[in-house]
Amino acid sequence: MRRRGELIRRALSVAALAGLAAAPAGAAGFGIFEQGTRAMGMAGAFTAQADDPSLLFHNAGGLAFVEQSDWQAGATYFTSTEAEFQGAAPFPGPDQQAEQEPLGEILPHAYYVRPINDTWKFGFGLYAPFGLTTEWQDPDQFSGRYISTRAAIRSVDLNPTIGWRTGNFGIGVGAIARVSDVELNRRLPVVNPFTFQVQDVGDLNLETDFGEGFGWNVGVLHRFNNSFSWGLSYRSKISIDYEGDARVRQISTGNAQLDAVVATRVPFNRDLPAEASIEFPDMASLGLAFALSPNLRLETDANWTGWSTFDTTEIDFVNNDLPDAEIRSDWEDVYNYRAGLRWTASPKSEWRIGYVFDETPQPEEAVTPLLPDADRNGFTLGYGYTGTWKIDLALMYLDFKERTRARSFEHEGDFFGTYNTQALLFGLTIGR
Amino acid sequence: MFRPSFKAALLGLTLLIAALPAAAQVDTGQANFNIYVAVGDSLTAGVASGGLVQTVQRNSYPILIYRQATGRTTGFEQPLISEPGIPALLELRSLVPLVIAQRGGQGTPLNLTLPRPYNNLGVPGAKIHDVRVTVTGGLHDAILRGLGSQLQQAVALHPTFVTLWAGNNDALSAALAGRVIEGVTLTPLADFTADYQAVVSALSGAGARLAIANIPDVTSIPFVTTLPPVVINPQTQQPVIVNGNPVPLIGPNGLLTAGDRVLLTAQAELATGRGIPAVLGGTGQPLSDGVVLSASEVSTINNRVAAFNTVIRAEATRVNAAFIDTNAVLRRAADTGISVGGITFTENFLTGGIFSLDGVHPTPFGYAYIANQFIAAINDQFDAEIPPVNLFPFVFGGASAAGSATAQKAEPQGIFTPLALKNLFWLLRVPDLDDQPSVTPPRRRRGRG
Repeated sequence: MRRRGELIRRALSVAALAGLAAAPAGAAGFGIFEQGTRAMGMAGAFTAQADDPSLLFHNAGGLAFVEQSDWQAGATYFTSTEAEFQGAAPFPGPDQQAEQEPLGEILPHAYYVRPINDTWKFGFGLYAPFGLTTEWQDPDQFSGRYISTRAAIRSVDLNPTIGWRTGNFGIGVGAIARVSDVELNRRLPVVNPFTFQVQDVGDLNLETDFGEGFGWNVGVLHRFNNSFSWGLSYRSKISIDYEGDARVRQISTGNAQLDAVVATRVPFNRDLPAEASIEFPDMASLGLAFALSPNLRLETDANWTGWSTFDTTEIDFVNNDLPDAEIRSDWEDVYNYRAGLRWTASPKSEWRIGYVFDETPQPEEAVTPLLPDADRNGFTLGYGYTGTWKIDLALMYLDFKERTRARSFEHEGDFFGTYNTQALLFGLTIGR
Repeated sequence: MFRPSFKAALLGLTLLIAALPAAAQVDTGQANFNIYVAVGDSLTAGVASGGLVQTVQRNSYPILIYRQATGRTTGFEQPLISEPGIPALLELRSLVPLVIAQRGGQGTPLNLTLPRPYNNLGVPGAKIHDVRVTVTGGLHDAILRGLGSQLQQAVALHPTFVTLWAGNNDALSAALAGRVIEGVTLTPLADFTADYQAVVSALSGAGARLAIANIPDVTSIPFVTTLPPVVINPQTQQPVIVNGNPVPLIGPNGLLTAGDRVLLTAQAELATGRGIPAVLGGTGQPLSDGVVLSASEVSTINNRVAAFNTVIRAEATRVNAAFIDTNAVLRRAADTGISVGGITFTENFLTGGIFSLDGVHPTPFGYAYIANQFIAAINDQFDAEIPPVNLFPFVFGGASAAGSATAQKAEPQGIFTPLALKNLFWLLRVPDLDDQPSVTPPRRRRGRG
């Protein structure tokens, strides 16, 4: 008697596998501008001042004005206070809500600067300008689990820099070596032919090795006089190729026949080599700083980030173990605007406040559980103390605008609903 | 001739109005869903897995549209059939080996005494000519109850809105029967055009706004596309390769080519070795004409469907109806799949999620998805803001048409038991073209295995 199992295997849609191809947008708005606590207190409006070692991130032109060797190290701690999703029809519908696991990320930074002579200066910076984790609670039940359950990207930049001073102008040029890795997790679905219900059949995990890429940065700082300075800074795009192994853990459907057939179609519990590539955007900043009084300085900055580099991310399964996935993000170049105020309360202490408006590069169609982004308003407060040690502290409240998705890219599946996110950031930097 | 008595009509209308709670707050634009009538065939009635049963009917695409457009759960009457359906629904008994059989017993109509026509007048197997004039035969009796044809009853309800999805069976018979016979399994274009235009004119003339859907490619359904035209090795379930090439099956007119189609009904013959060359262990006898669609038959059917669709499109434009391109929907399902929340639904048999166990009709998810296509078209045409159906319960269960897996000893020769197949063809009014004993339709109110 002829077996008809193959009918099933052939008919068995790579729904489980094609689901991978259907996973939409990649990581979004995952730039982190908080790379030094003094600047963070002023919402990052620091390009025209750049007067502590974190200048290596904010404006390398500031390196030119360094008079003695100086270092600082610290970290920014991100935590989410709200990260919720409310579904809408047609999918996943108004009865579905979800919450992200509370974020708790620590992003380190360390800077060292020193003069070589009156004209030439040297600096070395280490910081993490791109990173993010999005992880959803209750992955077994989360309605977006076939898109993403947990996604994370980490990166570290190493940035040796040379500064050159001429009069009141400072120019800095640096090389950037970026090291990064990516993690993606999602569930794989199948339609159970006994019930015509969708069930999980696999848990897909992809963790890449560290990939590296190289770029450069340049900055100009003009300290016009004691009352006014301006600065311009640019960081280049950097492309990184990632390699890693995906693995799929089988999840039983409760039906032994179906499990057996699925096991012949999905390569469970094996290393599946995969490659991906991300082009990180270039960034430009323009800052203007004014002394409103001897103790009060105001800076306003405009930043531009070339996020249109992030349009399609392909995950290529090298041995064709699974179909390649194409993640469409179609991000846009965006601006953000910052204003910061610093008040020198005494020779040893300073207070800072700031505000930033950060446009999201992510179009509505690309808002997904992989990384839901939104325009943000950030409010900061900072304090700096200079004694034997220098200590900076800062607090930022980051309020993401409510983001609703009610459209999809052509031929992409709907996952509609509203995201609400709020985050708190704490910064601490110490130097001597 | 159907002449409702004035009293009956008045009673019907009163009951209708009395059943309506306060008006819902859905913005339906220029469309009005106070009296909504659905006209069509098995797709409109809510057939799935070879039968008509209330669990699926309660989520037929017309009633889904009604609920979304009015916010009401009552007021849209359908000819509900009790479990296990008429005919009894197919269930998947086993995946490997593949066994699809009918459930035992038979359903009965539950809503026969409604004193007015149903809102959902779709009759499985109805061609456009049937919509216009047919009163009896197959499930016409249970649904039309001798009160007139679909068209007559629709008009008698004085509908404010009508959805029309008809014409599928004018081509589907050819695909299911595996034979193109003009006037028997494939409706001539002139006849189709005359009937279609008359139906649209009458519905529009009754004062209703319309939503009209065209016909999907009947040769793209899993009933037609699942089995390949080559010999399959039962052990490996892969095509047998000889001299680097797969081995074509033996069709009624010679070896099959890539453009030929082998219907699901062929599995019974393949299981006995028919269609398979003797050198590979078969009988060397050709598959019968009725289980194969040649490339030219496929082409003829597709061209006819395209011609029908041109008529349908023109009619929709003529009466300013909302137009639903279901042909494009099925084509997209076949090309790239239909993606929802990271899940890709395809037209594949059994695990694609769009087609039910008969390989012809949608699953409840498929119907819900189609309802959203109707709603989108209605919103577009009539400036409405009807919210879409929430697909979540259709994706994850609660509205399924298949039962649970029960291990069975019975192992029929083909994918469908011969009885299941006969009942499917009865339901869809596919002409009996073979020298087989004539199909005895299941009778109401009698148990039948």
